[in-house]
Amino acid sequence: MIDIITNLFMGFAVAFQPTNLLMAVIGLGLGIIVGVLPGLGGANGVAILIPVTLVLSPTAGIILLSGVYWGALYGGSITSILFNIPGEPWSVATTFDGYPMAKSGKPGKALVLSFLSHGAGGMLGTILLTFFAPPIAAFALRFGPAETFAVMVLTFSAFVGLGGKSALKTLIAIFLGFILAAVGLDIVSGQLRMTFGSVNLMGGFNFIVAVIGLFGLGEIFLTVEEGLKMEGIKATLGLKDIVEGAKEIRRNMKALTMGSVIGCWMGLKPGGATPASFMAYGFAKQAARNKEEFGKGASAGIIAPESAAQGAGTSATLPMITLGIPGSPTMAVIMGGLMIFGLQPGPMLFKDHPDFVWGLIASIWIGTVFGLIMVLMFAPLFAAILRIRFSILMPIIIYVCAIGAYAVNNRVIDIYYMIMFGVVGYFFKKLDYPIAPMVLALVLGDLAESAMRQALIMGHGNPLILFRPPIALPLMIAAILIFFWPTISSWKQKLSAKKAA
Amino acid sequence: MLNLGLMKIRLVSASDLFFLLSADAPFIPLPTGRQAQDGVFRCDLNKFAEGGKMRKAEIGVALCLMLIGFLILADAIRLGFGWGMSGPKAGFFPFYMALGVVICAFIVLFNGIQKFKKEGPGKRLIREGGLKPVLWVLLPSTFMVIVTGLVGLHVAALLFLVFYMRVIGKINWAIVIPVSVIVPLSIYILFEKVFLIPLPSGLFGDKLMPF
Repeated sequence: MIDIITNLFMGFAVAFQPTNLLMAVIGLGLGIIVGVLPGLGGANGVAILIPVTLVLSPTAGIILLSGVYWGALYGGSITSILFNIPGEPWSVATTFDGYPMAKSGKPGKALVLSFLSHGAGGMLGTILLTFFAPPIAAFALRFGPAETFAVMVLTFSAFVGLGGKSALKTLIAIFLGFILAAVGLDIVSGQLRMTFGSVNLMGGFNFIVAVIGLFGLGEIFLTVEEGLKMEGIKATLGLKDIVEGAKEIRRNMKALTMGSVIGCWMGLKPGGATPASFMAYGFAKQAARNKEEFGKGASAGIIAPESAAQGAGTSATLPMITLGIPGSPTMAVIMGGLMIFGLQPGPMLFKDHPDFVWGLIASIWIGTVFGLIMVLMFAPLFAAILRIRFSILMPIIIYVCAIGAYAVNNRVIDIYYMIMFGVVGYFFKKLDYPIAPMVLALVLGDLAESAMRQALIMGHGNPLILFRPPIALPLMIAAILIFFWPTISSWKQKLSAKKAA
Repeated sequence: MLNLGLMKIRLVSASDLFFLLSADAPFIPLPTGRQAQDGVFRCDLNKFAEGGKMRKAEIGVALCLMLIGFLILADAIRLGFGWGMSGPKAGFFPFYMALGVVICAFIVLFNGIQKFKKEGPGKRLIREGGLKPVLWVLLPSTFMVIVTGLVGLHVAALLFLVFYMRVIGKINWAIVIPVSVIVPLSIYILFEKVFLIPLPSGLFGDKLMPF
């Protein structure tokens, strides 16, 4: 405990260095913009910036990248409240009550409610991270290759079982991600895999390019197809709104705690933020006395999903930093950035680079608070970006995406790949193939494969080693249970229905 | 006070700048982008898009995925997917992943065909009139990448910005020109001069941007 607090203070000393502080603020600003713009989400905002951060020190770079993430979490709510367009998938639930409230003449109050609940959810997530990351990392030090592989299986089965999409399509997306990760030179055997004689394929597919294409261009294609209507509500944010919002939050403490707790819990699992926001909305509605107000601008209907989204976003850092398992696509991209810096996320990070880890944790504290201040001060200005016509914004977004894709490896072919991934992302979205697990598989591909190979070598080819007790076995059992969770829960329902009859 | 021919624009603050670029700026009498997109090219695209129904696309994509799966399987078999001298061979992991893709895609395909037989082709894949704007993004951006090889990314982007804003967005030249010059120029300075990250200059890019 004392250890954690001294470490945290050391982290604050790192995070408060002028460069790092500046990076946090720049990251937050860019993140809010990225969150506001359609077609640019947290994941590809981070992806585009990774090449830029390579000129910085790892700590400053990662503070910038995570700042973008926190900023995007805040920014997504501005568009959903003022424009009824969710800037991010996790702010869909916010449109249910945020937009009606803004429309009924209280846009300032709606924004303040959302920002304050974001701040609260983020705080809880950060506290969780600060105090639980060290023990979990210490525990994870005992992991061998088999255990690492089991954690990954658990991660991906969570996508299949809890993702809410077709299990088959989720599986296809995961397998494809792993295949894409394997294209190119195999480090273990030195052989070229799946290159089919093409020189371009030798370099493989970079996850950054895939993220920019799948999330960025794919989203833009969907947006232009639907013909975006930008009819926003003009908002001003005064001190009065902030005071009123804070009072309203105090009246809805139940929704706030519910949202934050659900968010932090769901954030630990991969793909958490979006389901967390919907779950929190549902729970808040069930628990509320004024159910009929939901959908018409109920305060609790904003507070619960927003605190859940930020809570999930923040607590997703915990598995990333301790186990090397990113809890969300954006986290996956940040983790990929860490690996480019030569830092392997996971338990060893706490041992080998404590200044980096604690600097990051302290910067999350700072990012949550600064982000809150920034959105409270400048929300109308950020919203004004969306008043720029889409035919001006869109080509600029594509231009920036192309730079991001190129700068990863300085290859023009990557820009073509980006466009190709954009088309793939468009069709995948249309046909309901999930994209997040594919990106996660692409990022984790090499790690998962080498963990499995090493484990099999240790077991002399006996696959039972992947189920060895005491750690891998329960993880695998949990993975199998979660994988079949939809089937199990439907059985349970049938059984209880029979008993009732 | 900016004086651009007939238009007089007074810039007071940053938000005025946004307003200038916004859809409801009063001095732009041109039709908005959405109206203008209609009638640009109306020919056979609609008919083509009409043929693309949800379940057909489902079946087509599943077939494609199976094909990719078989390709990977073939390569994994070439590499060897069994037990080698030192642990699993290079094709081991891709083999099982591809096997998974083939099996899952086959079930998706099978379900898709069943549904197609029972319920028909389903709703449209692409919203009516939706294919055109998508192609109007896809084709120019692909063209931008092709041109990048010749003149470099910044000049290619400049052309792309001008083309998209003017031809598709029908935006006033008074906005098109400054935006499409300032944006690539500032990105050029930021990346090549400040961050020292080289971006593609193409065959002739160095001569076009000599500074």
